[in-house]
Amino acid sequence: MEPPCPPSHPKNALEVGLPRIYPEFCKRLIRLLLGVLALLLPCVLAVPPALAHHVMGRPSYKLNEDSNTPPSMQVETQIGNYSVTYMVFPAFPRPNAFGRINLYAVRIDNGKPFQGKVRFLVRDDSWFRSSEEVIGEQPVDDNVFRQGFIFRHAGDYIITASFEADGQPYTIDFPLRIGQPSRIGIIGIVVGFIIVLLLVVNITQRRRLLNAKVREAQIKRHE
Amino acid sequence: MTSHRPKTETHPLSLWRHLNKLRWLTLATVFIMLLCIPAISLYQTYVAAHGYALLSSSQKIFYDGMELLTAPFTDDPTKDLAVIKGNTWSGTFFGLQLSDPLAVVGQIAASLQVYWPFAITALIPIVLTMIFGRFFCGWLCPATFIYELNTNLAAWLHHLGLRSGQHLFDRRLKYLVLVVGLLISALTGAVLVATVYPPAIIGRELYYAIALGGFGSGMVFFMLTLLFDILVARRGFCRYLCPGGALYALLGRYRLFRIQRRVQHCNDCAKCNAICEFGLNPMGDDFGQECNNCTACIAICPTDALAFVVRIRDQPEQGEGHLGARYRKTHGATEQQPVVLR
Repeated sequence: MEPPCPPSHPKNALEVGLPRIYPEFCKRLIRLLLGVLALLLPCVLAVPPALAHHVMGRPSYKLNEDSNTPPSMQVETQIGNYSVTYMVFPAFPRPNAFGRINLYAVRIDNGKPFQGKVRFLVRDDSWFRSSEEVIGEQPVDDNVFRQGFIFRHAGDYIITASFEADGQPYTIDFPLRIGQPSRIGIIGIVVGFIIVLLLVVNITQRRRLLNAKVREAQIKRHE
Repeated sequence: MTSHRPKTETHPLSLWRHLNKLRWLTLATVFIMLLCIPAISLYQTYVAAHGYALLSSSQKIFYDGMELLTAPFTDDPTKDLAVIKGNTWSGTFFGLQLSDPLAVVGQIAASLQVYWPFAITALIPIVLTMIFGRFFCGWLCPATFIYELNTNLAAWLHHLGLRSGQHLFDRRLKYLVLVVGLLISALTGAVLVATVYPPAIIGRELYYAIALGGFGSGMVFFMLTLLFDILVARRGFCRYLCPGGALYALLGRYRLFRIQRRVQHCNDCAKCNAICEFGLNPMGDDFGQECNNCTACIAICPTDALAFVVRIRDQPEQGEGHLGARYRKTHGATEQQPVVLR
């Protein structure tokens, strides 16, 4: 049986720097690892490189997660044979600032992305202002339909995306808020007034009204 | 000076009268939930967007307030606060997906096919309706909360001299609304019954108002129904036009739990008839499929003559109450005047 190597006389270069204890075991382990790496190398080279994009140095594989340009709103909906996802960038679009809409449309049955054109329209979502304006018609770009926009005024808008697939027209509405429009409109004021009135009347008059109702019913009964 | 309180008699059934308080608590809770869900959704959007610095001052106040309220319960609002979503039309309640039966029927009509994963979500409400009848209308519907307050407003206006509408129509009108709504849904491919169904409208409109910044046309429609109730018929929309009420009434026709008059305790005071929002005649044993088990009649009955029983049909008319003056006169009752409970 071969005696263990003396600590001061390594047998070969591989042994330099290895732990002095169990040198045979370490050598075998390294060989094994090199073998495994040799086997994995072709697999690693065969895989296409990841198409990650980087935003200010932070890798982001999904635009709606951990991104410096998060969407203000992501809406997913199903219409006909398609599942449609809508996103708006930047997070809180403001008047006179550039923004964009990303729209994805894939078939529900086989997941195949829609490859036609999508038309984007916009209309003011406030009362008595319903004129619609075409923003643009976009072809597919890497399975995404991208539509840029700049709004001059703050407000609530409705974006309409329309396309034709399988001979059928598809039209989907999505909300878009620009800046900080007034949160209370005419209807809000009326609703608020009615709610306050209902609560005040019910709190202050409930017992009296109950008695009046009972009295009236009893009078009717005696009649 | 000593006050003489009336002698009272207690029995287990007197507990039923407190159900009406529980009902109001339930209605208020549902309504508050409908206010909270969009607020939570908005807060979750802000959190997910990592955009606190971009928020306006009012949004920051909202964000900070929500953070203060939710911080004791969660470290990850985007996930943990999603346990209750949707509204009474369709939603998720702690993992349990529930839908209004009208939503499922409307979907079937619009698509002309049954989408089973969605249809199953209406199973629990359907079973509960078959047991408790039109309980959704009385106990959960967010529109009922407003409509009942509105009834008192109508009475107050009447008291001030503005005559409120007391017209009566055929209650079967709402079944026609249901059928026509489903037919139009089938023809257009859109669930159009949801556009005239108050609980769906309220859930939707509250979401629009809080999360998206404004009310839509649905709220105008709902306010018109309030006006209809004031000017035309008391609880007119629920009684005569609501398609969901029609469906619940049909499902609950042979409900197991129903209110019944105990004729031997009835004094014919007619308070139950006066309080009934649906214009039914509890004093005449006429509840039918329209009763939503709201228990208002039980709560107001001074002699505890109304109580829940397990029956699939109403008791046939039992005649005059045994404590009533007319009954005692015709039957020559000479026994001691029964004890008045309240």
